[in-house]
Amino acid sequence: MNTVILIAGRTWKTIFSNRATMALTLFLGLALCLATYTGWEHYQSQQRQRLKYKAIVRAQWLAKPDKHPHRMAHYGYLVFRDQHELSFFDFGIESFAGVSIFLEAHKQNTANFSEAGFSGGMLRFGEMSVAMVLQLLVPLLIFFLGYNAISAERESGTLKILLCQGISWEQLLAGKTLGIIGVVFTLFLPVMLLTMLGWAVLSNGHLSADAIQRFGLLLAGYTMYFSICAGVAVWVSACCSTSKVALTILLAGWVCGMMILPRLTQAIGVQLHPAPARIEFAANVEKELHRQGDSHNPDDPHYAKLKDSLLQQYKVTDVKQLPFNYGGYVMAEGERISAAIYNRHQQKLTDSYQKQNSFTIAAGYLNPYLAIRYLSMALTAADFDTYADFQDQAEAYRYQLAQQMNKLQMKYISNATPGDTDKPATISHTHWASMPDFQYHFKPVAAVVRTQAATIGALLCWLALIIGCFLGASKWAKSL
Amino acid sequence: MEFKIFFSNRSTVYGVLILLFSGLFALYLGKTFIAQQQTVIEKAIRLQPENTARNRQYFGKELGTLMYHNKFTMIHQPDPWAAFSNGQRDIYPYQLSVSMLGLQGQLYDTDLHNPVTLLLGNIDLAFVFIFLFPLVIIAFTYNLLSAEQESGTWRLIGAQAIHPWQVIGRRLLVSITTIFAVAALLMIVAVVYLQLPPDIRLWRVSGMVGLYLLSWFALATWIISMGKSSDFNAAALIACWVVLQMVAPAILNVWVTWKYPVPEALETVVKQREGYHEKWDLDKKSTMDKFYAHYPQFKKYPFPEGQTFSWYWYYAMQQMGDDEAAQGVAGMSAKLQQRQQFTDIATLLLPGIQTSLRLNETAGTDLQQHLRFLKAVAAYHEEVRLYFYPLLFTGVSSQQVDWNRFKVAQFKETADDKGGLQLLSAGIFIVLFAGGALYNYRHRTYHF
Repeated sequence: MNTVILIAGRTWKTIFSNRATMALTLFLGLALCLATYTGWEHYQSQQRQRLKYKAIVRAQWLAKPDKHPHRMAHYGYLVFRDQHELSFFDFGIESFAGVSIFLEAHKQNTANFSEAGFSGGMLRFGEMSVAMVLQLLVPLLIFFLGYNAISAERESGTLKILLCQGISWEQLLAGKTLGIIGVVFTLFLPVMLLTMLGWAVLSNGHLSADAIQRFGLLLAGYTMYFSICAGVAVWVSACCSTSKVALTILLAGWVCGMMILPRLTQAIGVQLHPAPARIEFAANVEKELHRQGDSHNPDDPHYAKLKDSLLQQYKVTDVKQLPFNYGGYVMAEGERISAAIYNRHQQKLTDSYQKQNSFTIAAGYLNPYLAIRYLSMALTAADFDTYADFQDQAEAYRYQLAQQMNKLQMKYISNATPGDTDKPATISHTHWASMPDFQYHFKPVAAVVRTQAATIGALLCWLALIIGCFLGASKWAKSL
Repeated sequence: MEFKIFFSNRSTVYGVLILLFSGLFALYLGKTFIAQQQTVIEKAIRLQPENTARNRQYFGKELGTLMYHNKFTMIHQPDPWAAFSNGQRDIYPYQLSVSMLGLQGQLYDTDLHNPVTLLLGNIDLAFVFIFLFPLVIIAFTYNLLSAEQESGTWRLIGAQAIHPWQVIGRRLLVSITTIFAVAALLMIVAVVYLQLPPDIRLWRVSGMVGLYLLSWFALATWIISMGKSSDFNAAALIACWVVLQMVAPAILNVWVTWKYPVPEALETVVKQREGYHEKWDLDKKSTMDKFYAHYPQFKKYPFPEGQTFSWYWYYAMQQMGDDEAAQGVAGMSAKLQQRQQFTDIATLLLPGIQTSLRLNETAGTDLQQHLRFLKAVAAYHEEVRLYFYPLLFTGVSSQQVDWNRFKVAQFKETADDKGGLQLLSAGIFIVLFAGGALYNYRHRTYHF
């Protein structure tokens, strides 16, 4: 063990005595600081914007005068997607997901106004965030630090000497890897502490226990990821005959794994599990709606039957004699049916997206970059699951709003149809406050971790693979 | 002779094969992506008359109700070049269905997306040209000089009294020829496979791609002209690639969103919704007066003032939603132009991004083209309004309407050309770095 630490220490010192690596390391440290700052500013400005309009929407809702409740149901509500405070760390799908949904009776709208919709093509080249630096650039640094870890010793002939001195392959590989990990952490830990401090200061000390746990798990995830990268670099260096070949292989792997494979696996996932376009989706929903009963169709058999059974139950001859507003009752029934159908189709759509994504997640077992990318997005609540969850919560709120207004209509609106020139039927505006404001609730960290079993498993598998390779090193490694 | 040496190296063959294979695969993916959109477009064309017929059956009694439900579709037809450079076509909706109600509440509806797919991006031939070709160029050139120095053969060349830069130049020419041959082959396949029209745009795109590739050769030549080791060259070139293609655009993106936020978007929805809905609680006359101010030609139609509800008033209220959101819309479009200008200038020093943006522009898959599409939808919507307003005001029944008048509208427009910026961007690189390299070769003495 002492030998391992000795080698690690020497590796660490050699790397830090090199001016070029020092410059590179400093550059990355600066990039991380910059990413922390811009990430936070970005998060803040987006969040400020959304909170501002959220407050306006609420105030306007409460300020509406006496009205027919169905008018309020059509006035509807605008909800804005909340960002998790940790999204300053990893933007995830943030820029590509819609920001606001208009919620109204009878109709489910899309989430609109994603940042990508306002952007020229440049957004496709990526966004600067702490996660981007850690996922893409730090591994590149690790590869540059580690590509000649063993091969340089071999080229200069010192490898044989080392092995003759009784140092085992296992000790050598472990020591070199630990040395590189040490270098990365000398850089990474202060920046992470700074990030943590900056985060605490910028949020005025309002750190929730849940967010701190998420941050801790992020640290653990990235630690695993960096260890894997360092292990791969040393391993490749030990396998290749020359440093040049090792560098070429590592760089090619980096380009493939981080630039090409993610696009490729996702493209294949999309081809394997095609999802409907909006127009097809709407046509499918509508088709089923017509089959099950359409409250907008005056001759619909479902509603004719409903009417008859109501008349029978209340022993009256005309809907106008019912003790509640019949129009409100029909709309409540229509909303119930249409929302159920819509939700079923929406669930199917979400499932097919998840299947598309699962292909890329599975590729995490081949490519640890994909595993950490998904894990990081999930922990900062900037992933697909959170987005789908937001849509679900917004739809639940829409349904609640529509039904609340239908209930008010049934209870307070008279059954008599007003004439052409009569004052329209209204209820008091004091009822509007009975509909609470929309509040998105993030999933607790434990629930997030459960959904990430695959990505965490992929990282663990890679770690195990590398440790296994190192333990069996004396069998495969060559000293010449 | 140089070619023979060049191709005797196994990694050269791999490089060429990787480019060819990924180029062909990218062509397939790009074409499939557009073909899927075409299928949806055909479906939309088929669905509109069906939907109109059903709406007429259900709501035909009253034209006002029918117009509340009935939608009119406009389609953004992809250009053949869109399969070459998919650009933002996955993000922006390519077909919009709008009813006669307020436009601003419908214009920004998106299609259904998997945001992860949007995040990871798609693969098309433009991607291969922009991202992969430079990497292979780096692989072909980084040790042109240093390998000779490291193996000692440089001494021999020096002894033969030829200028060293002539030798380097010849080798460079071989790899330039190889890369350009691969690029040309892929372009020819693209022309046949994607059925690209052989017009001026083909030459413009070829020119852009060619210049872009040359700019990478210029950069690589300059780096190797400094006479450092192979390891240094490889690291420096990869670092250049990472900075130019990843880090710089990533920083610029955050800068643009931060510097030019678009709160006008959210403001527009809020204003439009309020502008329409508050009219329910206001005096009808004030709404109608504003409506007549917008459309003086409709003053001649009498408005039934005493009635609790009339479609006349209803559609005037809808119109007010749009009118009151107009400021937000103008602000939004000004902001987007500012962003565009900033991006155009900032990416002059990033030939990869500049080329990619200009390719999207030529293929009609960029933001500007989408904004033109939105404008066309707005014009179409106005046409529908102007046709139906008098019919609604005079109480015409839906039987008398000429429903064939509004078929699915198609938007197809070729983009304006800012190819000059790309020329400038790649030109700066080529002149600067090729000049620097030439200077180095002439004035430097390389250690043997």
